Amino acid sequence: MAEIIINGKPYQCEEGEYILKVCRRNNIPIPTLCHHEAVEPWGGCRLCIVEITHPKWPGWKRTVTSCLYPAQDGLVVETDSPEIRETRADLLDLLLARCPNTDLVRKLAAEYGVTKTSYTPRENPDDCILCGLCTRVCGELMGRAAISTASRGVQKMVATPFMESPEACISCGACVFVCPTDAMAQKWKKHMGRELKPIPSEFDQGMCGRPSIYTPFPQAVPNVPIIDKESCVKLLTGDCGACEIFCEPKAINYDAVDTIEEVNVGAIILATGFKIFDARRIPQYGYGRYPNVFTSLEIERMINASGPTGGEIKLRNADGIEKRPKSVGIVHCVGSRDDKTHKWCSRVCCMYSLKLAHLIKERTGADIYNFYIDMRTPGKSYEEFYEKLLKEGVHFIRGRAAEITDATLAEGEEGKLVIRAEDTLVGAVCRIPVDMVVLSVAMEPQTDTDDVRRVFNIGCSTEGWFLERHPKLAPVSTFTDGIFIAGACQGPKDIPDTVAQAGAAAAEAMALIDKGYVQLEPNTAFITEELCSGCKTCVGLCPYTAITYDMEKLRAAVNEALCKGCGTCVAACPSGAAQQHLFTDSEVFQEIEGVIDYV
Amino acid sequence: MRLTSIEDLERRRSEAIAAKDKVEQVILVCCGTGCLASGSGEVAQAFRDELAKRGIDMEVRLHLKTTGCHGFCERGPIVTFVPSGVLYQKVQPKHVPEIVEKTVLAGEIIKKLTYKDPKEKKNISQYNEIPFYALQTRIALRNIGQTDPQSLNDYLARGGFKGLEKALRMKPGDVINEVEKSGLRGRGGGGFPTARKWRSALKVKKDKLYIIANGDEGDPGAFMDRSIMEGDPYDVLEGMIIGAWALGSDEGHIYVRQEYPLAVVNLQHAIKTLRDDGLLGKNILGSGLNFDIHISRGGGAFVCGESSALMMSVAGKVGEPRAKYIHSTERGLNDLPTVLNNVETWVNVPIIIEKGGDWFASYGTAKSKGTKAFALVGRVNNTGLVEVPMGISLRELIYGIGGGMQRDREFKAVQTGGPSGGCIPAELLDLPVDFESLTEKGSMMGSGGMIVMDSRTCMVDIARYFLNFLLEESCGKCMPCREGLLQLKAVYDRLVEGAGVEGDIPKIERLSKTMQDSCLCALGTSAPNPVLSTLNFFRDEYLEHIRDKRCRAGVCKALTKLYIDPQACIACGKCIPGCPTDAITGAKKTPHVIDKPKCIVCGSCVEVCPTDAVRVEPARKPAEVTR
Repeated sequence: MAEIIINGKPYQCEEGEYILKVCRRNNIPIPTLCHHEAVEPWGGCRLCIVEITHPKWPGWKRTVTSCLYPAQDGLVVETDSPEIRETRADLLDLLLARCPNTDLVRKLAAEYGVTKTSYTPRENPDDCILCGLCTRVCGELMGRAAISTASRGVQKMVATPFMESPEACISCGACVFVCPTDAMAQKWKKHMGRELKPIPSEFDQGMCGRPSIYTPFPQAVPNVPIIDKESCVKLLTGDCGACEIFCEPKAINYDAVDTIEEVNVGAIILATGFKIFDARRIPQYGYGRYPNVFTSLEIERMINASGPTGGEIKLRNADGIEKRPKSVGIVHCVGSRDDKTHKWCSRVCCMYSLKLAHLIKERTGADIYNFYIDMRTPGKSYEEFYEKLLKEGVHFIRGRAAEITDATLAEGEEGKLVIRAEDTLVGAVCRIPVDMVVLSVAMEPQTDTDDVRRVFNIGCSTEGWFLERHPKLAPVSTFTDGIFIAGACQGPKDIPDTVAQAGAAAAEAMALIDKGYVQLEPNTAFITEELCSGCKTCVGLCPYTAITYDMEKLRAAVNEALCKGCGTCVAACPSGAAQQHLFTDSEVFQEIEGVIDYV
Repeated sequence: MRLTSIEDLERRRSEAIAAKDKVEQVILVCCGTGCLASGSGEVAQAFRDELAKRGIDMEVRLHLKTTGCHGFCERGPIVTFVPSGVLYQKVQPKHVPEIVEKTVLAGEIIKKLTYKDPKEKKNISQYNEIPFYALQTRIALRNIGQTDPQSLNDYLARGGFKGLEKALRMKPGDVINEVEKSGLRGRGGGGFPTARKWRSALKVKKDKLYIIANGDEGDPGAFMDRSIMEGDPYDVLEGMIIGAWALGSDEGHIYVRQEYPLAVVNLQHAIKTLRDDGLLGKNILGSGLNFDIHISRGGGAFVCGESSALMMSVAGKVGEPRAKYIHSTERGLNDLPTVLNNVETWVNVPIIIEKGGDWFASYGTAKSKGTKAFALVGRVNNTGLVEVPMGISLRELIYGIGGGMQRDREFKAVQTGGPSGGCIPAELLDLPVDFESLTEKGSMMGSGGMIVMDSRTCMVDIARYFLNFLLEESCGKCMPCREGLLQLKAVYDRLVEGAGVEGDIPKIERLSKTMQDSCLCALGTSAPNPVLSTLNFFRDEYLEHIRDKRCRAGVCKALTKLYIDPQACIACGKCIPGCPTDAITGAKKTPHVIDKPKCIVCGSCVEVCPTDAVRVEPARKPAEVTR
């Protein structure tokens, strides 16, 4: 351990640790342009210069780059002395002559009082500050060296071999990511002939990119990052490993693999949720064709302060100041209450559409048009909310939207999306030009519902919603004991309903587990082994997988804990070996005889 | 024959000496780059043809050798004779039959081919009586011009590998002690004590240690290392082998510029010979030392002469320097301890070991020991490669060995240390040439370039020339060097165009200080040296450029108006035909006149005028000066 004095205060550090690292750790600001934790310090931009002295060597004073100078015990460092500031200002003055239009340089220079370069600015400047981060990341970290600097002195530039698209490039995008200005993105596009697309963020509906290591969403459980195997360079080629360098507790484990855990439980609650309707299935609404037709979930992310736009409602294709929509159409029942798609009402769309209408109006002041079939606002305070929106001046047009088009017919429709619908209250077809369309998409069952239901041996409606045992008497139970359902996997419902149902399912499960034993009905089936021929007819027929085939005895056997006493096996058994308690043949015959006697 | 012990080597040497003693006469034709350029290749061939024609046996009685640079490039091609010691200068193939007839066979001296001293006006036939040679002390260059650079026997016969013999009988530590005693300091420019460098590498050495000879001599006008590598390659290699013994290294590299093809060829030949003869490779001379040397060829970047950039280049990376807060003796080539010394430093090692550190230390000054080779160029009579003891004054160098200024013009300044060095003015002519004195005056020893300038040199233009050189050669890694040089050059472009303003000098000074404070490598921090030293010693010239819009040397065309001084003009008419715009008129016996509107200041009249009558117009009176 060593102790160094920075700006008059003592700090602990390792002997030989770079001064910049010590300063960064202790939040002492030092400007840098070419430094990055993931690559070796380079000392190219020279902005991180500091003044050093040592009490042991009176009169010794040097100006060194802190990113590369190893700390020695007793070293006295000044990071912001007037001389250092003056030299930095001069350096930034020089850099500003190279990159007079680059925001990063202008901002940093302004911090040092340089707003205009006193030197001769470069003709046709680009944004490249030659910090070397892109080439070093590509070479050191990615092990590719697909780009390097070519030429020297003022002619120096970042280039690919022979200025051609390099074979070594794996399009990892690290160079563009690490570039502190826009220079590399432009260069990449020029060399590769296309734009570099980030990995789309699943949670943000692909509206922004995400890294290869990421936390799926802010409330994820467990709330830790995961590595995307498909795109992580470390897992693909063995290079990179930048996240490991940044992770101070050294928590990153590249060797972790997917494992299947087997857990013994007493009850299972299925809460597999729903999936949203793919709006592309209704082509006349133009989703996927018109950039400014959004789904409600996309708008939901956009409105969120931690979303891709930081909570701003923005149009997709526009840039400049006119980013906000001036008018927005919200189309209800997209994929719901429709013979061609789903017949059911998704229950939540009316209310979330009203919520979005309210929020969009609040954020942008835009004109909002709702196209609805019926307003379905049952429940506490819902109707009142609808009333409030009517008063806020949100437009409601009763009628299913027929089409969304960019074909213009009338004045004022240019550059806008036109929603064509019949206003059934007026009895006329209307065309409403808007900047943005929100499709209130339906809820539908998950695509793998059928597989899941087979695994858990429960029932499923024709639409694909899991079936409860009884709508009123057993709304969270299924036909298999110990398996419960909750939430939208059972049918479309909103969050309060889901939470209520989940609570019920949890209580049911607890009731079962808490008892410590399972009470069975007495009418279970059994096999008379002497009669059983081992034909296995019953094994496949049992709906509760209660019958197994004993390979040693070559006979069928019934698991009484699973058997529900439905009698299917009994009816099907060709040899009469399968019998059911309380309903054995002799008991049935005696019952019949009794009845006949009575008659 | 492969030598396996020190005794083998001694035997081989005595054989070589015996063979040499049998030869009655040796003709040495200088085939250094300078002489080759003036036709020494043809001269050597002419000798061969002539001797063959006359049926003279070139095996026993007479040897013809093509040697490395004699140093006296100004007078090339040079031919010398052993043992008579006669030197002929500016020899052409047509002279060869006469030389063979008279000098070789009859021992007569041909007067017209001997050197004529410009001062004493007398002919000097003996090599070692010519002031250019007589005033030198040749240690590093001792073999150059005397041996055939491709012949190991030649080198052995001159006492080659005696240093290695002695070193292998010493303990490695004692070898370093001997080098320390000699006071040898790095000849590449920095002047770091060699023994201290070796020790610091040994301190951190674990398994592997590299040895590198820096032969990337990039300074304009410098050719010391080139001459050594071309003319005495075995000496460099011997120095490195001794270094390997002292440091326990098994791998050495010589970094040679691609622009030095002859050096590469000669070094390659020498390395191959040494490998074949067991002086490189496994178990050298039975000592247990395993050492081999590889040649790395540079791509001609000036910056690769900087040690850390050089190591990057050797390792196959982009030749850019790194910060040397951790020295390359600790983390050099491939991040392993590396000892890098200049070619000239290595070449001093064998003789230090052979003759002892005290012998070497008897030359030079208290802090700068030994001798230093310089490439003496510019407006001096005897340009060439010279070696002098440290501490000799600039005056002795320029007026003694250099033979004074060309056309006896006024000495103005001497530029030492290459582009990173500075200009030393006439008032400091008695400055001793050693590491400390030069640095103190804002210049540096550098690798040994020495450019002499006279009154016809504009100091602003010279600074601009070096800036231009550095601008092209800056690696571009660190921002202040890359951008600072560009901006400095922009200011100088204005100055020579006559667009300089009062604020330019403070601007130059401020920018220079920023660069000195913040550049990454020594190339950058020393880049302002030519600027600051000219500004320091020749400030009035700068002010003249800015205020009077005049260049007194007549170099900056936009600031020069030429006229012919009627008193000095002898009306010889020499200037008239050369004038490209027919601006000069004048009849016989009447002083010539320049028609100023026609004159484009090309300077051709200045060059041809025998009396220096073409002059630069003086500054206008202050009242006339307009901005």
